[in-house]
Amino acid sequence: MVCAGTGCVSAKCFKIKEALERELKKHDLCEEVQIVMTGCNGFCAQGPIMVVQPEGIFYNMLKEEDIPHLVAEHFLKGRPVKKLMFTPPQEKAPVPLMKDIGFFSKQSLLILRNRGLIDPENIDEYIARNGYAAFSKAVTSMAPDEVIAEIRNSGLRGRGGAGFPTAKKWEHCRHAPGEPKYIICNADEGDPGCFQDRSILEGDPHSVIEGMLIGAYAIGSRHGYIYVRNEYPLAIKRFSTALSQARQYGLLGDDVLGTKFSFDISISRGAGAFVCGESSALMASIEGKIGEPRYKHIHATEKGLWDKPTVLNNVKTWASVPSIIRHGAEWFAKIGTETSKGTMVFSLVGKIKNTGLIEVPMGISLREIIYDIGEGLIGDRKFKAVQTGGPSGGCLPESCLDLPVDYESLTEAGSMMGSGGMIVLDEDNCMVDVARYFLDFLKGESCGKCTACRDGIEAMYECLNDICEGKGKEKDIEMLEELAGAVKDASLCGLGASAPNPVLSTIRYFRDEYDAHIRDKKCPAGVCKALIQYSIDAEKCTGCTLCAKKCPSEAITGERKAKHAIDLEKCIKCGVCREVCKFKAVVVN
Amino acid sequence: MSEAKTNDGKIGAALVVGGGIGGMQAALDLADSGIKVYLVDKEPSIGGVMAKLDKTFPTNDCAMCTMAPRLVEVGRNKDIEIISLADVENLSGGPGNFTLTLRKKPRFVKEDKCTGCGTCVTNCPVRNEIYLDVKLDEIKLEDADMSKTTAILERYKGRKEDLIAILQDINAEYRYLPEFVLKYMARKLDVPYSQVYSIATFYTAFSLVPKGKYKISVCLGTACHVRGAQRIMESLERELDIKNGGTTKDMLFSLESVRCIGCCGLAPVFAINEELYGKVSQGKVPQIIEKYRKAEVKDKAYAKT
Repeated sequence: MVCAGTGCVSAKCFKIKEALERELKKHDLCEEVQIVMTGCNGFCAQGPIMVVQPEGIFYNMLKEEDIPHLVAEHFLKGRPVKKLMFTPPQEKAPVPLMKDIGFFSKQSLLILRNRGLIDPENIDEYIARNGYAAFSKAVTSMAPDEVIAEIRNSGLRGRGGAGFPTAKKWEHCRHAPGEPKYIICNADEGDPGCFQDRSILEGDPHSVIEGMLIGAYAIGSRHGYIYVRNEYPLAIKRFSTALSQARQYGLLGDDVLGTKFSFDISISRGAGAFVCGESSALMASIEGKIGEPRYKHIHATEKGLWDKPTVLNNVKTWASVPSIIRHGAEWFAKIGTETSKGTMVFSLVGKIKNTGLIEVPMGISLREIIYDIGEGLIGDRKFKAVQTGGPSGGCLPESCLDLPVDYESLTEAGSMMGSGGMIVLDEDNCMVDVARYFLDFLKGESCGKCTACRDGIEAMYECLNDICEGKGKEKDIEMLEELAGAVKDASLCGLGASAPNPVLSTIRYFRDEYDAHIRDKKCPAGVCKALIQYSIDAEKCTGCTLCAKKCPSEAITGERKAKHAIDLEKCIKCGVCREVCKFKAVVVN
Repeated sequence: MSEAKTNDGKIGAALVVGGGIGGMQAALDLADSGIKVYLVDKEPSIGGVMAKLDKTFPTNDCAMCTMAPRLVEVGRNKDIEIISLADVENLSGGPGNFTLTLRKKPRFVKEDKCTGCGTCVTNCPVRNEIYLDVKLDEIKLEDADMSKTTAILERYKGRKEDLIAILQDINAEYRYLPEFVLKYMARKLDVPYSQVYSIATFYTAFSLVPKGKYKISVCLGTACHVRGAQRIMESLERELDIKNGGTTKDMLFSLESVRCIGCCGLAPVFAINEELYGKVSQGKVPQIIEKYRKAEVKDKAYAKT
């Protein structure tokens, strides 16, 4: 099983596959060993990844030249190769089995139940793992109302972030007047630092199709759309392969499985606008218009796409549906907390050792995610904050680490569930800079319809920019808070209404950093260029001249084997010298 | 009410510049507090922008329903004096006591006698001309462009709702959206050119200017940002001597930022066309660019032979 998710593809996993094929052929093992290119395994930091089944032996960070040795040892002599296995950072001995690795053992897979186990471009492998069993159960033995009741009892809530009860949406739409009815799968995953929707589409596209089929049957829809980001070419390719295979098998099209139910799905490609993840903007975009949200006094379930009743759900919501129907609502409702049922998929990224895609039950604590699954921070640096919920979420400090992860707790703490991005920040990250980063993102992505969002975010950005450049004034924090209130209240859609979150949460938990920027004109994390200076520690400098060679502005002088110095007049503070120095002699102050 | 002088020299009158919805409301509020109001507007009549709108944000209420009562009230209120078709030229003094110079533009109608019947408008022989979109046969396309565009349009069977997908294909074909193709396509699809233009400028995937052979997209997603993506962008800007969004003079490289490629495990990341470069550092940037420059020199040499 070789991972062929985007992370591993860019780490050249197809070269590994070719090498494997070559070696297996050489040893005449093609009959015994089958190579399967799977969807994303989740442990992206360690790619390229290969898992040998049935034992479940996990190899990571493979290189082309490792393969001859691996094939000869493992497949020919039956001796798994220890040095290519994963060694947890704190330990010395490698862990051979995938299920014993901390990153995997704490997870519970439901939406991602097929990850790394099937070839996403082959429908038979999905069916062999009980695929489409839930749909045939629904369409042959359940009435549409029973399907909705099952979803209601399971307590499934929208996985796109807002957490609206899925069954309520479906029921509204089912009883809304107007034909035809549409369903939409929202795969416009615009949040930076999130890639779970993409991994699902790339790794298990049929689970989304099956979920949509069940939903269409329950709602009474004949046509569905999936709106995918244009930046995800591989996801689009795999999903369209899956669609044509499902059509061949009679799972899509007219009279599905010989019943009177007909349904088909078309793909709509996005064009790079973050706001199109908002439901009404997304529908406008499918209709071929510019993606501006509209006023929602009438729900999409009554008048959505082409002004017809429409249900829009996130990829993860649709992918959760088949398991609920197959195992029953009770089984699903047992997982999670009182108000948030089931599991959630997060992309755990940033300054964390085990970067990757994880699926955990609702109610798990942030500490468990970061320290048990993520195995702590890179270089064992000090944890500063975790940012959840994408650009509209917030930053939570160490004191919030024991919070259970569910919709309500995160909102209360000033962040949100969002679509499941989890970005870990360490002591080298400046919180004011992070807040400025998100506003810079949102200011570019605001569609410009509402004045408060268009100009308010800009004004807040300018204010934060001044603070980062050392031009902050005493009253700036109060001004930011006032602007935040206005933007929140006077914006039409979720983008504006949640845009101040990153600013408010950083002010709430990291006010001291704002004060340091404004009063002392210092950036404690050493990020904001205007407030820092580079210098060379004469004790540590060995005079290797590397920094002087790499400096783009020729600001570093010094003879070979003599101490170097930085000319502050010429220095553009790019930080190349600090990056290349092998002796950690370049310091920021 | 008269312009009575108070003890501190202030006069009980106020001036409101601009007779839009805000100006009218201000004038009404001032008049209600017992102050004489002069309402000045440069247009022939008050009402401002809102009078030209059908619906207003955010409630989608009918604009005229909101403003008509105010228009009438302003007109009726004896304490509000409307001075229309006038520009403010000069203002001196302070709050409560100032002198103002207005330039009143000629109306060519005796205001005290006009009843607003509108007969002059219907009888005037001079009409404004209406702008018409160019006709289909006036747009000249080269044969190659014509066949490319026709092929793309046929792929979507001329469906208007696939406009975005059509634009994506044109963008992929030309590496930007050429104006003449857009104009031709708009006429063919029977969509107003303004709508095509609004879509072409709204979505970041489209460009109205030609892009370089190699498109460098630097991921500025959150995971890349916290691992120093901004510095990678700056070193690329230095290396190529262009800014984010620019194209080199030799049309070889275009530099742009993208919000998350979704390879957060490899942060910081940038892509050159489809090729991804993960875990990059500032030091590696020049080598990577040099590789493409060398390949280009080779390509050119090959093309000559």
